[in-house]
Amino acid sequence: MGQAIINGILLGGLYALVGVGMNVIFGIVKLTNLAHGDFIILASYLSLAVCTSLGIPPLLSLVIVIPIMFFIGFFLQSLLVNRVISRGPEPPLLVMFGLSIVIQNLLLSFFSSDAQHLPTKLDTRSITITDQIAIPTLYLIEFAVGILVIFLLYLFLRRTYVGQSIRATSDDTMAAKLMGINIKTTYGIAMGVAMATAAVAGILIGMGNNFYPTTSSIYLIISFGVVVIGGMGSIRGTLFAGIIFGLALLLGAYFFGTSVQMLCGYLVILVMLIVRPQGLFSK
Amino acid sequence: MKKWTVGSMVRIIVIIAVIVFLYVMFFAGSRNAIRILLSIALYCTLGQMWNLLSGYAGMTSLGQQIFIGLAGYSVAVCTATYGLPLWLAMIAGAIVCVIAAFLLSYVFSRMSGMYFAIATWVTAEALKILFKSWGFVKMGAGMTIKVSPYPSTAQIYLIAVTVCIVSMFVVYFILNSRVGLSLVAMRDDAGAAASVGVNLFRTKLFCFMLSAGITGVVGGLYYLNQGSIFPDGGFGNSWTIAAVFIVIIGGVGSMTGPVVGAICYVVITEVTVKIENYLNTSLLGVNLIILGAIAIIVILFLPNGIIGTIERKFDFEFIPSKRHAPDIPRNAVTETQKK
Amino acid sequence: MSSTNVTTSDVDASGGSILRVENVSAHYGDFRAVQNVSIDVPGPEIVSIIGSNGAGKSTLMDCIAGLHQPVSGKVYFKGEDITGMEPHHIVARGLTLVPQGSHCFVRMSVEENLIMGSYTKRARKKSKNLLEFVYTLFPDLKEKRRFLSGSMSGGQRQMIAIGRALMSDPELILFDEISLGLAPTIIKDIYARIREINQSGMSIVLVEQDVKRSLKTSAHCYIMLKGTVVLSGRSNALTDEEIKKAYFGI
Repeated sequence: MGQAIINGILLGGLYALVGVGMNVIFGIVKLTNLAHGDFIILASYLSLAVCTSLGIPPLLSLVIVIPIMFFIGFFLQSLLVNRVISRGPEPPLLVMFGLSIVIQNLLLSFFSSDAQHLPTKLDTRSITITDQIAIPTLYLIEFAVGILVIFLLYLFLRRTYVGQSIRATSDDTMAAKLMGINIKTTYGIAMGVAMATAAVAGILIGMGNNFYPTTSSIYLIISFGVVVIGGMGSIRGTLFAGIIFGLALLLGAYFFGTSVQMLCGYLVILVMLIVRPQGLFSK
Repeated sequence: MKKWTVGSMVRIIVIIAVIVFLYVMFFAGSRNAIRILLSIALYCTLGQMWNLLSGYAGMTSLGQQIFIGLAGYSVAVCTATYGLPLWLAMIAGAIVCVIAAFLLSYVFSRMSGMYFAIATWVTAEALKILFKSWGFVKMGAGMTIKVSPYPSTAQIYLIAVTVCIVSMFVVYFILNSRVGLSLVAMRDDAGAAASVGVNLFRTKLFCFMLSAGITGVVGGLYYLNQGSIFPDGGFGNSWTIAAVFIVIIGGVGSMTGPVVGAICYVVITEVTVKIENYLNTSLLGVNLIILGAIAIIVILFLPNGIIGTIERKFDFEFIPSKRHAPDIPRNAVTETQKK
Repeated sequence: MSSTNVTTSDVDASGGSILRVENVSAHYGDFRAVQNVSIDVPGPEIVSIIGSNGAGKSTLMDCIAGLHQPVSGKVYFKGEDITGMEPHHIVARGLTLVPQGSHCFVRMSVEENLIMGSYTKRARKKSKNLLEFVYTLFPDLKEKRRFLSGSMSGGQRQMIAIGRALMSDPELILFDEISLGLAPTIIKDIYARIREINQSGMSIVLVEQDVKRSLKTSAHCYIMLKGTVVLSGRSNALTDEEIKKAYFGI
């Protein structure tokens, strides 16, 4: 039980990171990014390709994967989503849906449906606390990196001119235009930043878990959960939501078995949607 | 009441000709032709139901597989576990779906837009996991449908075509009725529709339950033809992918759209299978890449879909529903109202 | 750079005015909000546009600022054709709009709001001086600069919106019904500030429903009714009778 709680909290940091990118897009572009899970898994595969071809450890591959993902995000937003953004909420939603299908199946035809794993030795180590409780080193790294990335994102949105313009756009699009902000560029940057967080999430996931193209739906659901629990557009809420969701999953696994742990997650999302659709942490 | 123009005469003749052709195929069609037409009929019905929900009632569901899976499993459980006759199992499947829709509507009714989309998606995924770990439905091992004598593909085709035609007539009558009017009013401005006395909840509930029931029949027929059902297939999101693709290709809010969309869908899928056989390799997911790419291109460049674009160009609706999506962007409408 | 590149023919088209609107029409769907409207703002003075609710004033402002695309007609700013330009390009040229209902960034502080005003390259360099200018104009804002703008009163939000527009270092500011829903004393105060802004050399277009106050403040005035200009002239030359007729369309 104690182990489940500790693991739940630690994994929560990773889940927060998984969801934060979607939340940024939700809050700023007002778009449900149905391809977010696929972007994460895409990053896992990119990292796999970089690691195997250059022979570097996964965490180092971030240096290459993050910029690639940023530009993919920027261009997808500029070339596809921005064209339909003025036509109401459904067309962009369906574009993302189409992208999700395309990315998932491209990965399937390039890498097959075999389970993959990023080459790392970290996933077997753990720090023993008592004879009952041991903290897996990888979980600790995931938690630390997750919090670090979210903190950096927070600083970016608060302290930089570009970040400020992104917040202004999400607050009041019309007024932001009148400030001289190019809304479409801002959306592109926001998508790029969201993709950069997805890149980090994808690499951490690839180190700790097996992944294959269709695992993306699990991470999409986790993102939904984090957004729905934390509240749309709330970065701070995301962190707590990740931890709540992590606890729900791991305690679910502890009490009912690992096969139904995702079911607990889904139930948490549905209950949240019914009881408090605006999220726990938004006003 | 209505004037009989040349256009409407042609229209009725074409519709009757198509219906006659579809029934003649039952006797005259080759096995392969019937198999393909069966797919088209099922996917067309699926598309019509998604179109009714998303295109007209403004509820973009990403979880139509909820009803496909529930109905497929109902048929399997009724026949294999309880030994009920097939017709009873099919009806039971549809009823289970309608009841499920009724119960889910209490959960979904408070949500709109993307929350509704997310909730339907999550529900479908949850059901998939539930069925994978539920001993009663043999977990991930799947279930086999057991009836004797087992109906032939042609017999299933006959039912599927009838269901498809009936469902199109139902949608047609709904759209040309008071319910249709209130649906469109609701889609274009929920607040205004409510203020003129449209009962939003009842109208939405009606559409949701109707679409659930008929989608369920599609699921039942599909898995009857397959012979067995597994959680990953029955509750798989490929069903939603198909529905979304079919409606987008054809054109959201057009009744002819899903017919064309379903034909495109089945043809593309068949062609990739043919190419795979020819090359003697498995082109994993290639058909879905093509479908996804086409869908994106159509959304970007033909906002009204293929049929919608043609219909608007010539100002002629093959099956007139009088319920076009508005030409002017929605935000422009609300802006004028604000002023 | 761009101002030196303006050809003489362009300058002729604008007749040397800072803003010239020529036969602009704009629609919302089927609704013709503005039809064939021409307006001229000669130099650093206050021009008012008066009209009742739904006369098309706001749509006209949106067309000038680039928020709405006119279906026909031309908008010239400092001699340059800016018709149909994206708003951020127009702001970068020195024309800004204070929209109806203030539109503050409610989840940002007062000072963050103001700093967003200097987003354009031309303003960013002068940001510090501009901020000082805004704070001397509205000392209240300086006092509450750390507060969330969403927590401020309606009048203070209007001041933020005006200050934010000033932060873009504009040559022309359009004010769209800034007195809407404010208490009379606050309106009086804001109008005094507008005159101060004008005296510092900026051109101003003032959109109002309140006839008396606009005439008193402006040098030149246009009266709009059902999407067209029905009367225009020097504010002190128009008679009450004429104005009443034009305003109500009787």
